[in-house]
Amino acid sequence: MGDPSSVATFQFGGLTFNAANIISGLIAFVLVFLFVFALSRHITMKPGRGQNVLEWLVDFTNGILKGSIPGNEVGGFGLYGFTLFLFLFVSNELGLFIQVAVGGKDFVRSPTSDPIVTMTFSVATLMLAQYAGVAKLGWKKHFSGYLKPFVFWLPISIFEEFTNFLTLGLRIFGVIYSGEMLLKIIGNLAFSHGIATMIVAVPLEMFWQGFSAFLGAIQAFVFVTLSAVYISNKLEVEE
Amino acid sequence: MFSHLAVATGLATGDMIFFAVCFILLMWLIKIVAWKPINQMMQDRADKISNDIDTAEKSREEAAQLAQQRQDALANSRQEASSIVDSAKKQGQQQRDGILAQAQTDAQSLKDNAKKDIEQERQDALSSVRNDVADLSIEIASKIIQKELSADDQKALIDSYIEGLGK
Repeated sequence: MGDPSSVATFQFGGLTFNAANIISGLIAFVLVFLFVFALSRHITMKPGRGQNVLEWLVDFTNGILKGSIPGNEVGGFGLYGFTLFLFLFVSNELGLFIQVAVGGKDFVRSPTSDPIVTMTFSVATLMLAQYAGVAKLGWKKHFSGYLKPFVFWLPISIFEEFTNFLTLGLRIFGVIYSGEMLLKIIGNLAFSHGIATMIVAVPLEMFWQGFSAFLGAIQAFVFVTLSAVYISNKLEVEE
Repeated sequence: MFSHLAVATGLATGDMIFFAVCFILLMWLIKIVAWKPINQMMQDRADKISNDIDTAEKSREEAAQLAQQRQDALANSRQEASSIVDSAKKQGQQQRDGILAQAQTDAQSLKDNAKKDIEQERQDALSSVRNDVADLSIEIASKIIQKELSADDQKALIDSYIEGLGK
């Protein structure tokens, strides 16, 4: 993963694609869809086991959004938050359990361990926030928000948008990337000097895997929470 | 070690488009498969629960009303029964009084009739006796003292005799 030759890239229609990202992203998407699809088969008034899990998840993500977005505005963002949380969670955990490398090149790992993926979602969130602001307040009111508390605040407001984009994307990337990196290093250590290092490395690896699983869940939660905060910032008129 | 990052290797713009499109597709699929039916069902459930609460409240009120009605009916019927007994008692008393009065008047009239009859009988008997006695005495007197007695003396004799009978 560390050196440039560790990922296979290919060109298609003038765009550069990263094979590892495409494959593991597809796996994550399919996993999320299958999970939701399987749990939503028998929807009844009296919820069954699967429906209960799904309803709890919906309530959970709606709860995250309700924490920052004013109550009656949540409806439109509920689906975005739900999908985002599930996808990020599955992506974060994917690399902890399956890492496939063929010929020194990664093919399956956490999609979120590549900044290009997390930045994509970060951009998506900020675009949604801008869109929501314009849709609710209108163009004039929305963009006049950048001039508050006074006109010369404009550069700082724009810079703030940029840092929001960067921190949102890089936070989750950093945690997941470093987690996988350390897992790999411990893995290399295990096979470096035969049985002796393996005995030391296995509990270490298990411990770090558990910690990373926890971090992955936290990061998915944080990402959705911050998305809700950025969206709600654009929904309110600053005084 | 950072050389594989986006900035270092040239921006993998394809990935961005791939993830954006896939994410929108996934969102759409989830909306169709789960989000809509789940939210619909949650909404339905909320409606049903609030309906049930309303219905329970209504039926509780109805039950209370019914209990009140029963209580009223019971009190009513008790009162009615006592009034029926009262009226029956009164009627019985009235009937008894009526019968008694009737009997009294009947007895009175019977007694009066009997008295009247007796008086009548006595009068009849007296007059018939008077006539009979007059006839008999005339016959006897004419037979016994045919010539010696004038008609006036005879009448006086008979009257004195009859007076003696009347006493």
